[in-house]
Amino acid sequence: MISFDKVTKRFGSNLALRDVSFDCDAGTVHAITGENGAGKSTLMNLLAGVFPADGGEIRLRGKPISPERPADARRLGISTIFQELTLLPNLTVAENLFLGREPLRLGTIDRSTMRERARSMIARLGSRIDIDAYCGELSVADQHLVEIAKGVSVDAEIFIFDEPTAALNAPEVEKLGELLASLRAAGKLVFYVSHRLDEIFRFCDRVSVLKDGQHVETRATKATTRDELVSLMVGRVLSQFFPARPARRDAAPVALSVEDLRVDADGPQVSFELRFGEIVGLAGLEGQGQRDIIRALSGLEPGAGGKVTKSGEAGPTPIGTDVVKTALAGIGFVPEDRKTEGLYLPLSIGENITLGMLRRLPIWRMVRGRPHVIADLIRRLNVRSAGARQAVGELSGGNQQKVMIGRWLAAGIDVLLLEEPTRGVDVGAKAEIYGLLREFTDGGGAVLTVSSELLELLGLCDRILVVRRNEIVAELDGAQATEEDVMRYALVGHADA
Amino acid sequence: MLDLARKSRRTGLSPIVLALPLVLFVLLCLSSATFRSLENLANVNSQIAALMIAALGQGIVAISGGIDLSVGSVMSLTSAILVTADPAWGVPLALAMGVCVGLVNGFGVTLFRVHPLVMTLATMTFVQGVALLLHPVPGGTVPSYLRTLAVSQVAGLPAALFWCAAAILLAWYLLNRSRFGMRTYAVGANPVSAGRNGIAVTRLKVACFVLCSLSAVVAGIFLTARVGAGDATMGNPYSLDTVTAMALGGVQLAGGTGSVLGIVAGVITLGLMSNGMNLLGVSPFLRAAVTGALLLVAIGLQRREAIGA
Amino acid sequence: MTGDAISPSGATGQRLRAVGRTLLSLPFAYAATAILLLVAYFMRPALLSPMLLLLIVRQAAPLGIAVLGQSLCMRVLSLDLSIGGVIVGVSYILTSGLLPYSEPVLLLIAVAFGIAVGLLNAFFITRLRASSVIVTLAVTLVITGVAVAFSQLRSPGDAPEILRQIVRLKIGIVPVVLVVWAALLVAVAVFIRWSVFGRYVDAIGANPRAAWVSGIPYVRVVTVVHVLSSLFSVFAGFLLIGFVGVGSMDLGRDLALNSLAAVILGGVTFGSGKGGVLGPTVAALMLTFSFNLLTSLGLGEPAKLMLQGIIIGVAAAAYSVQRKN
Repeated sequence: MISFDKVTKRFGSNLALRDVSFDCDAGTVHAITGENGAGKSTLMNLLAGVFPADGGEIRLRGKPISPERPADARRLGISTIFQELTLLPNLTVAENLFLGREPLRLGTIDRSTMRERARSMIARLGSRIDIDAYCGELSVADQHLVEIAKGVSVDAEIFIFDEPTAALNAPEVEKLGELLASLRAAGKLVFYVSHRLDEIFRFCDRVSVLKDGQHVETRATKATTRDELVSLMVGRVLSQFFPARPARRDAAPVALSVEDLRVDADGPQVSFELRFGEIVGLAGLEGQGQRDIIRALSGLEPGAGGKVTKSGEAGPTPIGTDVVKTALAGIGFVPEDRKTEGLYLPLSIGENITLGMLRRLPIWRMVRGRPHVIADLIRRLNVRSAGARQAVGELSGGNQQKVMIGRWLAAGIDVLLLEEPTRGVDVGAKAEIYGLLREFTDGGGAVLTVSSELLELLGLCDRILVVRRNEIVAELDGAQATEEDVMRYALVGHADA
Repeated sequence: MLDLARKSRRTGLSPIVLALPLVLFVLLCLSSATFRSLENLANVNSQIAALMIAALGQGIVAISGGIDLSVGSVMSLTSAILVTADPAWGVPLALAMGVCVGLVNGFGVTLFRVHPLVMTLATMTFVQGVALLLHPVPGGTVPSYLRTLAVSQVAGLPAALFWCAAAILLAWYLLNRSRFGMRTYAVGANPVSAGRNGIAVTRLKVACFVLCSLSAVVAGIFLTARVGAGDATMGNPYSLDTVTAMALGGVQLAGGTGSVLGIVAGVITLGLMSNGMNLLGVSPFLRAAVTGALLLVAIGLQRREAIGA
Repeated sequence: MTGDAISPSGATGQRLRAVGRTLLSLPFAYAATAILLLVAYFMRPALLSPMLLLLIVRQAAPLGIAVLGQSLCMRVLSLDLSIGGVIVGVSYILTSGLLPYSEPVLLLIAVAFGIAVGLLNAFFITRLRASSVIVTLAVTLVITGVAVAFSQLRSPGDAPEILRQIVRLKIGIVPVVLVVWAALLVAVAVFIRWSVFGRYVDAIGANPRAAWVSGIPYVRVVTVVHVLSSLFSVFAGFLLIGFVGVGSMDLGRDLALNSLAAVILGGVTFGSGKGGVLGPTVAALMLTFSFNLLTSLGLGEPAKLMLQGIIIGVAAAAYSVQRKN
């Protein structure tokens, strides 16, 4: 029904998809899987009309198509349930379900029909969401359900589910499975983008694996195993990327002490210590509060109570209430989203790095450019660029990430808070970034990181704190912990399951 | 009350927004006998009618996430056109002008991605220039049928009331009952999400700007007819007054939040303040200063995430 | 053979194209000035006499100074439309005689007034995150409203003697006004280019969210920008009042829009200081010259307004299209 033929897509200098070719049939649930950044969502976005391809052809029943807008895709019979929510917070559930195809009667919106049909759509998912509630009031899980209800209610031949279960609970995932089966029975083609292997084996008929923007293989799920899929996805032994861990430093001085921090006014308290010389990771399922903890420490979204102190030459400094003061205390925060929160894309590499070095200076002080320092740093970070004057926006993801971390290294801070240290970064640059972080801690710094890639935390961290429902439920030794250990704590909160 | 709080996500209505005009009304009734008179109330009505019509247009643009500072100039140019053009052609010409200005604003903001404040500031200046070129000195005569439409009474009720009622009804239908309205709220809240739901965001935003300019033309027609003469600077205060009125009415400049009821309440609040100060003998220039202060308070209270223009 | 013949010309073509790109990326003000001078040369050559040119340059000084502040504002994604209001306020403070102080004290009060307005603008813009256009327009409304209402009580009188003297002073043939303007220009250019403040301005313009996240003192920088802009408005007001000789409630009314037009024309758009300090300055000269040209062609206020509108709209549109590519 759909054929991808040498489909290519680039973002700036980054090749997100390279010559991807495979076919998909009607009446199947087709899984698209791969590591983070493998190009799964990019491929689906081409089909959904979010952006056009740069090369190759997508054919629908043999006819080439190139949807340029989501509306075009919908007209072609392609309905997408996006990973990011597309619900409008100021419309009700019913209105959101029919936005763009509102039923009319005498030129006005037919609200009774709309609500009636909305109710049955929600009921089909086995949910009790109030259809008159504004979507902004709903929990994230409920919003995802509404999104799914909206996607499948479209009269389409092809359905794309982009990581639909990220925010769902077990019973809702079951319902989703039934829904997928009914779509298959109706002869539709369903794309199921996920890296949750058990769901792929339970729900899907075929699976295509992407790696680094390339198509690796497409197989029937019955004809393959978990281990085979994993080896197709990773292709390289991960441990080679990670720098060696030094001996544990339980006696090293404390860099950051967190006492009774609450990220949620009536949530549980969090207490832990971060020592100089170590890398500590916060692990857990998506949206369990890891990110809130690190953002509270950075002072961006101050916590609702508790005490955070940073030790330094001038004695302990309270931090976490104000971004500017936190940065002044010698703490660098590297956000997940480089483009909107991290870098100054139009400015040069040199300017981006210099901004970190100015941290302690009064704003009226005159400064001279320090081309040697910057050139040295660029060399040390191994940023591949045309020179310090090149705009950061023109660099690849990995090099951008290095500049963002390098800015804090140049600033002379001794504690680094990182969100997703290698999001959207190619494999080679990942290893270099891990090396940089270890170099930083070996030189006396301390790192606290949040990552949704568990393997990354297991390979990099000295200690792993597992977070569940805004609470630290376990502390594991990074060198000994296994994926299963962490997942058990993350899922149920205690060791026996 | 609970319903009001819940819906305020969309409507921006709060008890304060609704109570403000009522409290003002009661206070003025108590403090001034002149205010209570029927003539004065009719007067208030005709004073605020132009603001009402223009503010409803401004409100629609604001809900879609834009702003239009050219409203005042468009009213001025309308006035200039009405007294210089052939009586039969005045109104159609003015309406055509409104469509043009709206299209320029809309395309500037969408296709050329100019910030709406900068874009409409540009058209505001240009249109003001055209108005002065066309009709440098205030005066001239307004077609008599327009004058009749603006100042006569029907069943003892002033015509201004009907102009207001028509504008409110139309805006209410557009925002609360039509597809266009629901989509406008959607685009204002998040244009990217709205686009992914298959809404033609560009077309909708342009339509909002055209509607706003058209409502400014209608407001200009009413005002010119009521005054009975053309004035190429007549609309000057309206650009900011409309913004003040809708901000008082709980319309969020960030887009996606606002209601017809709120805008009406905001317009009445502003109108009562102006009329009250007039009755209390406050200098008209100080009234402008109070409007400015009111505007500062109203937008200072808005919740806004973005940093910038 | 052919390959050899083609490659050097290909390189030249590439270089030509690069030169073309550089020219295209220059602020429109430069090209516009050239065109304008050509038009004047053919239609009103009298305007190009050195004496008249010098007069026009002198006349451009208030706008040129206001533009310095406006360009700072636009670099941090803000706008200052309270320039006219500040000048009306300054005019009233200096000329109404309502304040019984000596001239130097009055000048100081005017400066303090400017700082206060800048702080007020900045408070609303940074702390309450209100739209800068609306805030500064509302502040203008308040200041002009109060000043005009007060002037019913006591109308403005003569300008302070100091100001009238200063604007007439000359060093050789160069008016002191121009020296003051040039000094401010150089000071701002140097400060922006070399100070920590300047780097922060670039950072906030490039990505305010990132500046905030990485702990750059956003509030302090934007506050300083708005205070500077109001201060420059005060200085511009001093010159205008000196030129006119008497106080007026119409003084500097169009300065806010003209400065906006000049800044955009000079290549400084929201969040980008590409045009530097020179681009907007050239644009200020060009605008003043063009208004003189319009007047000499018998076109008055309306044409001026239309030109301003077209400049702001077209230049802003052109830059954003350019940036998109």
